[in-house]
Amino acid sequence: MADAVIVVVLLLVGATATTAVAVRDPARQALVLSVLGVVLAVLFTVLQAPDVGLSQLAVGSALTPLLLLLTVRKVRRRARGKGRQE
Amino acid sequence: MSRRVRLWLVAVGGGALAALLVAACLDLPAFGGARHPYGDRAVREALARHTANTVASVNFDQRAFDTLGEMTILFAAVLGCVVLLRQTRDEHRARPEPEPVALPVRRYALVVLPVALLTGLYVVAHGQLSPGGGFQGGVVAATSLHLLYLGADYRALERIRPVGLYEVGDALAVSAYLVTGIAGLIGGSAFLANTLLPYGTFNTLSSGGTVPLLNAAIGMEVACAVVVLLARFLDQAVEIEEEGK
Amino acid sequence: MNGWILAATVALGAGVGTALWGVATGPLRRRVVAQNMSTALVCPALLLLSQGYTRPSYVDLALVLALLGPVGTLVFARLLADELADDPPRAWGVTWAVAGFGAVVVGVVSAATGPSRAMVKLLVIGALLIGGNVVASRALSGGFRGVGRG
Repeated sequence: MADAVIVVVLLLVGATATTAVAVRDPARQALVLSVLGVVLAVLFTVLQAPDVGLSQLAVGSALTPLLLLLTVRKVRRRARGKGRQE
Repeated sequence: MSRRVRLWLVAVGGGALAALLVAACLDLPAFGGARHPYGDRAVREALARHTANTVASVNFDQRAFDTLGEMTILFAAVLGCVVLLRQTRDEHRARPEPEPVALPVRRYALVVLPVALLTGLYVVAHGQLSPGGGFQGGVVAATSLHLLYLGADYRALERIRPVGLYEVGDALAVSAYLVTGIAGLIGGSAFLANTLLPYGTFNTLSSGGTVPLLNAAIGMEVACAVVVLLARFLDQAVEIEEEGK
Repeated sequence: MNGWILAATVALGAGVGTALWGVATGPLRRRVVAQNMSTALVCPALLLLSQGYTRPSYVDLALVLALLGPVGTLVFARLLADELADDPPRAWGVTWAVAGFGAVVVGVVSAATGPSRAMVKLLVIGALLIGGNVVASRALSGGFRGVGRG
């Protein structure tokens, strides 16, 4: 019974990670990935590893989505520019 | 190599890896057991050196050399990124147009920026006492600066972010870590040995010997590295355009 | 397992489970709102866990999430502004419901802590969390009107 919270969070991590792989569009994938980061931080907390959880929160909640979306924007702009030239 | 052979190769490799992992897992101690030989020793060492957060003691005292390796990895990764994402000869910079931002969002960004920056510094400074440390605090502090891009526009961010200075800061922080290590070698016993400074009073900011110093060096390194990394990504996404457009 | 951890388990299982469903399916406007809700639910859950494990230092995680969670949503609001402008999300009901949940959790945990510096920290986290998520929700529904390149 005491491990119920660990089981629930592990299931959430498994479901979120699977979703992150299953979603195909990069922008929508970044949304799932940011949820995955937060859920992983909770997993580390319930396993009594708050230092790792804090690292995961710091990187996963804002930095990773920002890097991903900036990359998506650059790639799309480049594709648009190529389309206009042709 | 045909598709069939490749699939077989993947299947054999994956199967072997899975078998090895299962075999290794069978020998693990049971989940949540009471016996932690490594944990007990690490906690004893951490308490002997007056470091309240054992994880900080492991990272910056008992295994400070491993942290040096991790720091070098981040440094090299950022260096590679700077080289790859530089402005090439057939690209030019376009001035980003300011984006209209709703007033509550702009105000929120300007209020939260100093709070987040302070929180980052707090997490770095309390690394030897509570969860956190240089890496976590550095990332928070660096992210907070980019609220200026989110809440205002890119040119506002560029004004407070001379990238050159942050590149110098990154290199200086790496050197500071190395110098602290060499000081341990000269004045104490070994490279990165935590024997130079007094260990201080348990559970205060100045406790832990060189742990707070190394924490601060890592905090500065990570904050500068993230700012430089994001600067390259933002330049590419916002400013740099190919010629002929 | 005590009542605090049980409450956190329910909030995580039901709340974040729903948020995960929202972020995985449907149009973009629903997904971004669900992403915002996930941070707004996990932050109170972290406070409950810190209280349940009687580890006051775990509160730092909630503090960092209350600060950076809304920033993450602002990233999406800013960089997906062109797509969101055509079909802006309107989810004030969910936003205020989750904000109310956060306020209740912060209130109960503060009451259990008693007047001290730890309670001030909890109240600051509550203010940052609720303010941040309401502003992030506002940013999603047309906070960045232009379709500029900046």
